[in-house]
Amino acid sequence: MTDSRPAALPARTVLIDGSPQTWRGYWHELCSFHEVTRMLVRRDLIVRFRQTYFGLAWLLFKPLMLMAVTSFAFGFLAGFDRSHAVPYPLIIFCGVIPWYFFSNAVPDGMNSLAGHLHVIQKTYFPRAIIPIAAVAVDAVEFLVAWLLFAFACIWFGYLPGWQIVFFPLFCLQLMVLCTAAGLLLSVVNLRFRDVGNLVPFLLTIGFFVTPGGYTLARIPEQWHSLYALNPLVGIIEGLRWSLLNGMDGFPLKPVLVSLAATLAISLVAGRHFLASEASLVDLA
Amino acid sequence: MSDIVIDIEDLGKRYALSRRHRPDSLKSWLRSLVRQARTTSPHPSADEEFWALKNVSLQVRQGECLALVGRNGSGKSTLLKILSRIIPPSQGRARVRGRVASLLEVGTGFHPELTGRENIYLNGAMLGCPERDIRRRFDAIVDFSGVERFLDTPVKHYSSGMYVRLAYSVAAHVDADILIIDEVLAVGDGEFQQKCLSHVGTTLASGKSAIVVSHDLALIRLLASHVAWLREGRVCEVGPVESGVLECYSA
Repeated sequence: MTDSRPAALPARTVLIDGSPQTWRGYWHELCSFHEVTRMLVRRDLIVRFRQTYFGLAWLLFKPLMLMAVTSFAFGFLAGFDRSHAVPYPLIIFCGVIPWYFFSNAVPDGMNSLAGHLHVIQKTYFPRAIIPIAAVAVDAVEFLVAWLLFAFACIWFGYLPGWQIVFFPLFCLQLMVLCTAAGLLLSVVNLRFRDVGNLVPFLLTIGFFVTPGGYTLARIPEQWHSLYALNPLVGIIEGLRWSLLNGMDGFPLKPVLVSLAATLAISLVAGRHFLASEASLVDLA
Repeated sequence: MSDIVIDIEDLGKRYALSRRHRPDSLKSWLRSLVRQARTTSPHPSADEEFWALKNVSLQVRQGECLALVGRNGSGKSTLLKILSRIIPPSQGRARVRGRVASLLEVGTGFHPELTGRENIYLNGAMLGCPERDIRRRFDAIVDFSGVERFLDTPVKHYSSGMYVRLAYSVAAHVDADILIIDEVLAVGDGEFQQKCLSHVGTTLASGKSAIVVSHDLALIRLLASHVAWLREGRVCEVGPVESGVLECYSA
């Protein structure tokens, strides 16, 4: 067993036989390539703000404008929720910041693999990194956008209650939901470009069936179960509960429904991605 | 303990020729679901499929450099792609031991808006090289490429020569155990090509292994220890570079 070669034999052996990887093995591989994720996120953030005059101010400007327009449309024109004890812009921020993240992250995730086809055709790293990084870029914007909410709280002299400890959990759930949707749609989009037409259209409709500009309380009681099937309902109402002093009471049913939906979508997305990851280039 | 670093066993890659078996829209996919249920024949029949590779068995030992030769469409690049894990094989298996750096194209993953410096780190990570290793070799990479003056310029402003030189320099310094190279040694001007060649030579001499595809027989004689001749997806002949496989191929 003596080794006369100049370099020791490397220990790690990779078996290539076209069979899908296990969850564990894939997780391991994702971890070993975590630097690629980080660099792709950094790259996209750099590219997004390079050669812009306002630079990072865009991070706050976009959700601020969305809040202003939404307040105008739903609060002023439609006359929703003007009587609430909580300042109206705070209610709207809790709706539009998550919505803005979701409505960007899902198409970004969906288009990520197709947009990186030239990369995945020429080099190997775990493919899930690409949609994950695409969603993570929007997640960074999402987290920064909460600064706006903090400024608004100071402006209105408003102090969130103890429920705020649950705020990170709802944010986490939303990020998981967006990542899962991004993973799933990115694969489907490689094969069926139909979703590239369908998803932006659904998102346009989605804004109106998501309580961004209004609250769940505006929806008649008997429709709540159906309405809560939109997983964003539970997340947005949960965020409002956690940040706005328990607002209209804990939205138990929507939160449970959206947790179940998030879990289900994540499982389907994970399974589908693992099953197709090896043959993504052939699919396209 | 054997010193085989790449063990290819009965590898095959099948493609369906007709689009019928590869539905492209949701409508045809849904329709094919119904049809499949009735005919229970999801696989294309023999005349509708094409084997880009069939029954390929090859071995590469540590320190060896295997050159693949063959005409266009003989399956050389397909084999490299399978070994690089870009596409899965349809049959058979391959065992690859150690870290692989695939140079199927120079500058994959370079982003035009990023500076040379930023692209070095991004590209290094994509090739599986940790950031701290890149940082340690940073000066060597820059030296090798000869673009130090433009390191903080976005690569979209680079000349194509500078671009490929930088890209190749990153790839050359990721310190993999196995190099997989597809016709990319012919980048840059004559002087830079010389540099690339001697670099691959030193890498091999230090006990690394390689698989290269090239149509340049002189280059193969220089670098390779073994040659495999592929024809229509099958290994037609294989042997040490002195054994005359090359002469048969070029005859």
